[in-house]
Amino acid sequence: MSPRVAVVGAGMSRFVRRAQETGKELSWIATREALASCELKLDDVDAVCLTSAPDAFDGVHRKGDYLADGAGAWAKPYMRTYVGGGSGVFTAIQGWYTVASGLADVVVCVAEEKMSSCQPHPQGAFLTIFDNILERPLGPNLLWIFALEMQRYMQAYGLDKRDIAQVAVKNKRNAAEHPAALLGQADITVEDVLGSETLAWPVQRLDVSPISDGAVAIVMASEDAAKRLTDRPVWIQGVGWNLDTTYWTNRDLAYPEYVENAARMAYGMAGVNEPRKEIQVAEPYDPFDYKELHHLEGLLLFDRGKAPEAAADGVTARDGDLPCCPSGGLLGVGNPIAAAGLMKIAELFWQLRGEAGARQVPGTPERGVAQAWGDLMQVGTVVVMGNGGGPLATATQSPPFAPRATSLSDQEFRSATGAVEQRLDTRYEWDPGEAIGAVLDGLREQRILATTCISCGRTLVPARKFCERCFRPTDGWTEVPHTGTVETFSICHVTWDMRPLDEPQIPAVIRLDGTSEGGFLHLVGEVAPDDVRAGMQVEAVWKPAGERVGSILDIEYFRPLEPELRRELVAVAAVELPVEIAP
Amino acid sequence: MEAMALRVGVAGIGWSGFSRTTEGTSYKELMFEAARSAYADAGVDPRSDIDSFVCCSEDIEEGTSIFDEYVPDQLGAVQRPVQTVASDGLFGVATAVMLIRSGVASAVAVESHSKASDVVSLGRVDRFAMDPVLNRPLGVSPTALAGLEMRRWLHVTGRSESECADVAARNRAHAATNRRASYADVHDPTPLFDPLTREQTAEPADGCVVLVLTTEERTPEGSVFIDGVGWSQDAPSVESRDWDRAAAAERAARAAYDRAGVEPGDVELAEVDDTFAYKQLQHLEALGLSDLAEDRVNPSGGALGEGHLREANGLARALACIEGLRSGDARVGLAQSWRGVPSTSAAVAVMRR
Amino acid sequence: MSPTKIPGELSVSFRYTPGVGNTAFFEGLRDRAVFLGSRCEDCGVTSVPARIFCERCLAELEPSLECGPEGELVSWTLVRVDVDDQPLERPVTYGLVRLDGADTVLLHRLLHTGGEPAIGERVRAVFTSPREGSMLDVEGFAPVADGAGP
Repeated sequence: MSPRVAVVGAGMSRFVRRAQETGKELSWIATREALASCELKLDDVDAVCLTSAPDAFDGVHRKGDYLADGAGAWAKPYMRTYVGGGSGVFTAIQGWYTVASGLADVVVCVAEEKMSSCQPHPQGAFLTIFDNILERPLGPNLLWIFALEMQRYMQAYGLDKRDIAQVAVKNKRNAAEHPAALLGQADITVEDVLGSETLAWPVQRLDVSPISDGAVAIVMASEDAAKRLTDRPVWIQGVGWNLDTTYWTNRDLAYPEYVENAARMAYGMAGVNEPRKEIQVAEPYDPFDYKELHHLEGLLLFDRGKAPEAAADGVTARDGDLPCCPSGGLLGVGNPIAAAGLMKIAELFWQLRGEAGARQVPGTPERGVAQAWGDLMQVGTVVVMGNGGGPLATATQSPPFAPRATSLSDQEFRSATGAVEQRLDTRYEWDPGEAIGAVLDGLREQRILATTCISCGRTLVPARKFCERCFRPTDGWTEVPHTGTVETFSICHVTWDMRPLDEPQIPAVIRLDGTSEGGFLHLVGEVAPDDVRAGMQVEAVWKPAGERVGSILDIEYFRPLEPELRRELVAVAAVELPVEIAP
Repeated sequence: MEAMALRVGVAGIGWSGFSRTTEGTSYKELMFEAARSAYADAGVDPRSDIDSFVCCSEDIEEGTSIFDEYVPDQLGAVQRPVQTVASDGLFGVATAVMLIRSGVASAVAVESHSKASDVVSLGRVDRFAMDPVLNRPLGVSPTALAGLEMRRWLHVTGRSESECADVAARNRAHAATNRRASYADVHDPTPLFDPLTREQTAEPADGCVVLVLTTEERTPEGSVFIDGVGWSQDAPSVESRDWDRAAAAERAARAAYDRAGVEPGDVELAEVDDTFAYKQLQHLEALGLSDLAEDRVNPSGGALGEGHLREANGLARALACIEGLRSGDARVGLAQSWRGVPSTSAAVAVMRR
Repeated sequence: MSPTKIPGELSVSFRYTPGVGNTAFFEGLRDRAVFLGSRCEDCGVTSVPARIFCERCLAELEPSLECGPEGELVSWTLVRVDVDDQPLERPVTYGLVRLDGADTVLLHRLLHTGGEPAIGERVRAVFTSPREGSMLDVEGFAPVADGAGP
C-alpha cells in the first residue's frame, strides 16, 4: 500500500500563440500561481519535478536544465521526465512517486512548452520524431500518423466523421468558459468543423488542436502536509503509464492498447473495478477530436468503437452522464504539449474541489481520470484523482487568478527587440548497425529482408536483431515478397509546414505479404486518390539498379496490384524539407 | 532528513561498448547487449520480472526528437511502464529508488547509453544548451566555461595547475588495467581553454550501462545496496550560478549521506565525475572526500581514462563503484555525476555491501 | 556495399524572443548603453541582466536598476579552439565580469591588448555603435587602466 499523496495547489499561464515570455518566464508564472494558491513559499518546497516535450520546440538542448530557475528549482532536487505528449500527465506521476517515496513532503510539478520558437513552423520539429533511417527520408508529416490512425479507427468501426467532429465542437465550446484558453468558441458548429480545410484526409483543420505556448504547475504533498495545507486536498488515487513498441507500423491502430494497460494499472491502484460507474469526470487527451474518443475507449469508459455515438448523444457534454474535457481540452484551451497535459490534472483538481466556476460539472463528483498520450502513438499516462467524498466549494472564477502571458502578433514577434534567430546546426552520421545495415544492403539489391523469431514464430519487418516480445536475439533472415496490403492510408494535401500541395500525397502503412503483422510506412502512387482503399493489394515500384543506394527510397512507391486501378503517375516524391532561415 | 528506511538493492549490472567507436552496432543493438547481460546477471526475465523501466537520454544528443519512442523494444519493455529521465544516468538511479520506495515497482531497469560516434559535432550539441539570447550569440564553445571555472577555482582554493595535471595522469594510469578504458594512453598538454588542456579533458566514447535495481526482499544476499541518493541543481544561468564551488554536488552529497546515515569519513571508494581533471578535485571537495587515498578515487580511471559516456557517465561511475564493492575492495562506496558544460546538475549515490 | 554511416541532421530553425526581462535589458543597452538589472530586496541579490522573477524566491522583480559599466574580472580564459574543436587562427579571450552594483556576472570577450588579464582587475564595457539590442551591442570589456573609460 503506497502512502497517500494529494494535489493541494494549481496554477497556469494563459495559453497563447506567440508568447513574449521565455519558457523560463512562463514556468515562473505558473509556478508562482500554484504556490500562491496554497499559500506556500518556495522555501517550503522540497523538490521540483519538471516536464516539457521535445527540445526541438523551445530550441534548447537539455531544456530541463535551462528551465530550472523558472520552475523554482534553485538549490533544490530537480529532475525532468519525458514521455513525449504523455509528459504533462506523467509529471504528476513523477510528483506522486517523489512524495510517495518519502524523499520529499512537498513538491512542485511544472510542465512547460514554448512551440512558437520553432520556425518556420513547429511542425518542423515533428519531422525529427520519425525513424532516422527508414522513415525520415520519406519526408513524413506529423499529420500523416494522425490521419493514418484516424482512418483506421473510422474504418474498423464504420464511424461517421460527423460524430467525431462533435468532440471538437464540445471542447471549443467548453473552453469559452476558460480564461486561459486560446481557442474557446461558444458558437462553433459541426458544420464549421466538417467545412474546414482538409489537411490530410480524414483530418481537417478544426479537428486539430493549435500549437501554443504556455505552462502549468501543481503542488503535491504527503498526507500529513496536505492536511496541514488545505481542508480540501484532492488525492492521487492511482497512477499508470505504459509504452508500446517503437514499431508502430506493426500495430493495429484501431485501439490504443497501451492506454488500456496504463488505465488498468491506475484503476488497480485506485481500487476502481467498474470505471464506468466509479469515474464521474474525465479529461482524456484530445490533440485531435478522434483521439478523445479513442482514449475514452482505451480508458475502458466506453466499448470499442462506441465512444463517438455516446459523444453524439451528449453523454460526454459538460452536463452529460460522463463529462469529458470540461476544461475545453487541448482543442479549446490550446496545446502547448506538456503543459496541456498537466492542465488536465489542474482541471480535475478544480472540478473535484468545486472550484471550476462556470465549467463546474453538475452534482458532486468524487473521482476523475486524466490521461495523456504521446510518442509514436505509443504511450499512455493515466492519473485517477478523488476528493474522498468531501463537500465541494463553490467558485465564480476558475482558475482563482487571472492567467498571465503576453501574446505577440506575428508582426510583433518578427520585430521584437533582442530576438535572435539560430539554426540547429548539429550533424550526425548514424550507424545503422547490423540489422538495418543488412536491410539497406537488401534494398539496394531489390530485396526486402526480414528477421525471424522461432520462439513466437513471427517474421519481423522492419527487421531487428532482437524479438521485442520474447526478448531474445532473432534467429535468422528471410526475404519477403514485394507485395502487400494497404493497412491504412491518408490523402495528404499539405506540406509539413502546412502549405498546400499541388497533388496530394498518399502515405500508407503497407502490410507486406508473408509477414506476421509486419509492414512499414511508405507512399502509394499510380492511383487516383479516390480509388485508394484500406485492404487494397499493392506492389513495390523500385528504382532502377544503378540508382539504388541502400535506402528506403530505393522503393519509389507502392502501386495497385490490379492494373485496372492504375493511372499515370502524378507525384509521390517526398516534399522538400525545412531550409535554414538563419546562419 | 531521515535515513532511508527502505534499501534498494543492485540485483544486476550489464554493459556494452566502452570504446571510441562501436562501428557496425546501432544504438539499439548496443542497448540490447547491455540489457541482456544485466538481466542475466540479475537472473530476471524483463518480460515478466521488471516492473518499470527508466531510460536516461536527451533528444539532440541522439539526433531524434522524442527519443523516448525508440527505447522499449531492445530493453524488453514493450507494453510496460517506461519513462525517460532527461538527464544523467544517476538521476535515473534516483528515479528507480523513488519508484521502488513508493511501492509502485519492486524491480526497475535503469539504462543510459552514448553513441557519441554518431554525432559529428558534439560541441554544437552542447552549445545548444546555452542561453539562446544571452550566450549563444557570442559564438564561443561551451567548453570555455570549464576554462573559466577552472581558473576561478584555482584562484579561490589556491590549488595548482600541476595538481590537476596529476589527476589526469593518475586516472589514465588507473585505466591501464581497466578493460573498459579507451584513453589510458593520452599525453597531450596542448592548451585548449587556458588553463584547461587536452589531456585534462575527457574524450567521448560509446557505450551502454544497464542496472537492475530491486527491493531488499528481491535482492540476493551479499549484493550491493544503494542506501542514499541525492540530486540537486544550482542556478542554470552562466550569469547567476556559483562560480566558486560545485554547489549542486555539495547539496546532492549532503542529501545522499544523510539518507544513507553515513559521513564522508565512512566512504572507502569513490567514482566521481572527472569530465575535466579539475572537476575531480572540486567534486571531491564538495563531497568531503579530499582526504580519501588517491588509489580509492576513480580506480577505474574515470571518464578521463575510460572515455566520457555523455549522459551515461554517471552510470559508468556507478558501474565501476558497484564492481569495486562486489570485489570486496571496499564496504562503502560513492558514485557522483555532473552533466558537463554548461550544466549545474549533479547527483550522488551512496552504496554499501 | 550500402553506406556504413547515414548522414543526417535536425533541420530546425528558431526565433527566440528574449522574454520580458531581457527585452528591458536589451532596450537599455540599445537606447542608453546601460546595463539594466533587477534587485530582490528579500534575498538581497541584484541580477544582471534584469529578470522578472527572483530565482531564489520567485518574487516578481522590476528591471529598474542600472549597474556597471565598470566591474571586476571574476575569471578569464584564452579560447584556442572553436565549437568543433578546431584551432582558432587567433585565440580569443573571454571573461566573467561582475558589474558594479550586481551580484551576478556577464560572459563576454575581453579586449586586453597587452599583458594577461588578472582576476580582480577593473574592467569597463566597450559598446558598439549603432546598437541593435543584443549581447553584441557590447564589443567586450577592456581594462580600466587602458584608458577605455570616458
